[in-house]
Order: sequence, then C-alpha cells, then structure tokens
Amino acid sequence: MATPELDEITELRAAPLEPWQVVVWNDPVNLMSYVVRVFRTYFGYSSDHATSLMLAVHHEGRAIVATGPRETMEVHAQAMHDYGLWATVRKASE
Amino acid sequence: MNPAGISTSLVRLEGIRLAQLVGEFRELLATADEADEAINRLTPNPYPDDANAAREFADGTRTDLLDRRGADALTVHEALAEFRIVGDEISEEEALRVQDLVVAPQDVDAWLRTLNAIRLVIASRLEIDGEDDHDPDDPRYGVYDWLGYRLELLIQAAEDAETR
Repeated sequence: MATPELDEITELRAAPLEPWQVVVWNDPVNLMSYVVRVFRTYFGYSSDHATSLMLAVHHEGRAIVATGPRETMEVHAQAMHDYGLWATVRKASE
Repeated sequence: MNPAGISTSLVRLEGIRLAQLVGEFRELLATADEADEAINRLTPNPYPDDANAAREFADGTRTDLLDRRGADALTVHEALAEFRIVGDEISEEEALRVQDLVVAPQDVDAWLRTLNAIRLVIASRLEIDGEDDHDPDDPRYGVYDWLGYRLELLIQAAEDAETR
C-alpha cells in the first residue's frame, strides 16, 4: 500500500496544473481611482499597470487581472469581492 | 504611509448621516438575505456558467465574506461614535461645524471597502445598471453622489499619505 505522501505525488503527476484566470468585469458604480488602488495595493502592481487594467475593464468591459492555480485564483476572487469588485474565475483555455 | 493615519474634515451633519448609513448597512449585512439583490451584489458568483462550482464556492466562502464585511463596517461604526446622536435635532450651527476625522493606517481599507459597499447597496436599490443612470430629482442619488465624493477624497488622502 502506498504511503499518503506517495499518493499525493502520483496525483500531482496525473493532473498537471492548468492555469486559471481571475477576470474583473465592468460596473458603473466602482470609482476608477478605487479600482486602480485595489489592483495596485492588493496585487502589488505598478500604478501604470493597475491603471491600464482599470481602463481595460472600463472600455472593454473586463480584464484578466491574475493567472495561476485555481485555488490561488479563488483566493484572489474573494479578495476582489471583499473590495466590491465583480470578479469571476475561469480556465485560461476557455 | 504616515503612521498617524489620514485626516479628513467634514461637517458634523455629514458625519451623522454617514453614521446612520453605516448602521443601516450593518443591519442589512446581519440579514444575509440570499433573496436580496444588494446582498447578492456584495457576494458575487465567480462561476456564472457552472452552477455546481458556484454553489460550492458560495457554501465555502459566503458567510466568511459577509463576516469580513461586518468587521469592516464595525471598524467604521466605532470610528463614527461621536457622530451617533439620539433624540433632539441639532442646531444649524452645530450641524455645519467642521470636524476632523482621523483614519488609522490599518483601518484605511476597512473604510474604503465599507464606503464602496454602501454605494453598491444604494446603486442596487436605485437599479443603476449603466454609466448614464441618474435622476436629479431622486434624492437618493444625492446620497450616492456624496458618498462617491467622500470615497474619492479618502482615496486621495490615502495616496497622499503614502507618498509623504
């Protein structure tokens, strides 16, 4: 019988990590300065990067603000929801 | 960030109105009513195309999210203690007296999240869906716009404090 540790390793090998994304959607309520601040302070993005993401949300209706493992993306989405931003999680391939 | 926090001045009437709104917001959070559009706006569904994942996410996170919102609102509620009045109306002179409000650095996010959340609740009640949804004759828009102004000032003050 395999040890639990070995089981875990096998499972990781069987399912290679597929990237997921956090998408923030436009809404007419959140202030631009607020959205930039959230992207800057939460993700640690530069002012320029945070501003371009905000403008993408505003003009294109949405922006991908983070990419990585699903669990991490769910944590980020929760943080965005804490700030009142409308965030969804999806597979990068979708 | 300045260790002393950020300071903003407002007239007493504003502080009193803000304290009332935060009180109403805390009552709304306490209901955690799943049928309430405003509560739903505060707890968005990150999986609109996957009902199972959506349910799993909501089951695992919704209560915690509302608890964190409640903790944020409590921070703001406590900071506004001196603006909570009961009973008698105040004089015009008292209402227009300018007062300083100091927000500690560790409380800035709680303030921003709470003011923004109250705006989201009002927007939900007003059914604001687009950039141009505005009715100058509806006094609730006045509260909505004023909160936006206050939020903007707080953001500016927070950014100024960081670069000082």
